[in-house]
Amino acid sequence: MVSLERTIVPARLRTLTAVVPMLCGLAGVFIANIPISILGGLVPPPLLALAPIYFWCLVRPDLMTPAVTFTIGFAEDVLSGGPPGIWTLAFVLTYALVARQRDSFAGLSGLAAVLGFAAAATIACCVAYISVAALAFLSGTHFPPMAPILGELAMTVLFYAPSTLVVSWLHHKLVGASRGDV
Amino acid sequence: MANAWKIARRSNVQLPLILVVALAVVLVLLGKAQGTLFDKMRAHATDTMAPVLEKVRVPVAGFGRWMGSITEIFSVYQENLRLKDENARLRQWRNVAIVLQGRVGRYQALLHAVPDPQMNRVLARVIGRANRPFLQTMILDAGRNNHVLPGQAVMDARGMIGRIYLTGNRTSWVILLTDLNSRIPVTVASSSGKVGNIQAMMTGDNRAQPSLELVSRTVTLHAGDQVTSSGDGGLLPAGLPIGTVVADGADGWRVALLADAGSSQDVEVLNFSKPPEAPPASAQLPAEAAGLKPQAPPAPVTAPAQAAAPAPKPPVAAAPKPQSTQAPPPAEAEAVDR
Repeated sequence: MVSLERTIVPARLRTLTAVVPMLCGLAGVFIANIPISILGGLVPPPLLALAPIYFWCLVRPDLMTPAVTFTIGFAEDVLSGGPPGIWTLAFVLTYALVARQRDSFAGLSGLAAVLGFAAAATIACCVAYISVAALAFLSGTHFPPMAPILGELAMTVLFYAPSTLVVSWLHHKLVGASRGDV
Repeated sequence: MANAWKIARRSNVQLPLILVVALAVVLVLLGKAQGTLFDKMRAHATDTMAPVLEKVRVPVAGFGRWMGSITEIFSVYQENLRLKDENARLRQWRNVAIVLQGRVGRYQALLHAVPDPQMNRVLARVIGRANRPFLQTMILDAGRNNHVLPGQAVMDARGMIGRIYLTGNRTSWVILLTDLNSRIPVTVASSSGKVGNIQAMMTGDNRAQPSLELVSRTVTLHAGDQVTSSGDGGLLPAGLPIGTVVADGADGWRVALLADAGSSQDVEVLNFSKPPEAPPASAQLPAEAAGLKPQAPPAPVTAPAQAAAPAPKPPVAAAPKPQSTQAPPPAEAEAVDR
């Protein structure tokens, strides 16, 4: 089987493949925010959109740009129903930090790769929690409890391996490495 | 394969990154100031997803019941005994309730009691639930087309679940009483009977039991006190059952909710648009409202002949019978009412 990164991609398809990371992120947002609670709401849904952001931020930052990350975060805000802009800010700041340490994160493999993603997810959850806590402070309401966001962090890390399998498969089949690297 | 994991080196994203971060901060502030734009988008998205959610609702609910029954199967016998005992006690209470209902009806007729404002009820089905870290909500299959509006109370068979906070054309979102943003004025009916009703604010904090903030610091609550909506502010009708008071172990009080938002499938949305009827003036209660003439003030004591003589009387053959000063028995009062 010949993967697309080793073939010459036609110019017309190149535009199409460029939007695959964004579509993956949006699909993750949609799946994670389907308002169906199979386990009776015992566990919060994972941040499935974070895996494509993290993966393509390391592998193809020219496709997973800050604007794309902003769009995915905006979709997460709209569908999750939380305070507006929280996940947009969390995803963008996580992207910024991961992009700054790309070489360190990209060099990880195995369990260390999972820990690297866990660090990125922790950043996202911390930013979201601090933002909501700040808004609650301004509104004079209760601070949000820590347990739900910790549960979401745990679920996100737990779902990293299957998410990355799907994302890397799509990457090899549809996107490929940047042409300068091939 | 190794090439696929190579990192693209051409990434000059610093400037757009700063701009995008600034935009995200602006978005947070904008969402705080103008949340309606987000709400419209959410309502539109939910309306679009509604047919799919309605289709998957039944299998998902069945799967949820199956998952829940896995642990319950080992306690079926004990549960059956408990339910039989509870059923026997509830039958006794049912008889008491029937007697009390009749008595209350007679008192209402006697006092010309102002009836509770009529409330339209919309029956809705739960088609989605979201348990996010910063939002606990459920989605109903009734929206503006069914005259469901933000602010209306949502009840299940046991008690209040929450309020509508976002409506689309065919769907609506419910903010649960346990949600972080939920604040409901409530009345706590003391079970000891030593103090009257206590006003409090029930606030959610994403825990299963919302907390109670007392308006007055001088009163003391007791575990088991009944909590109902107070109706303050006119947003919610008064008297909706909510739960009972429990101690939270840290000098505070919480409310064990009667409703179970996690398992409710069919709920009622209460339309409280009609203003409550103004009660009659206190001077008219209870005698005049019951159709009786007010009692005449006592006449000054004078000579017996004068006292016996009636005041100016119309020249008619049959004078009206003097009004009795005693209140009639309930049966007589009911007859007057009718």
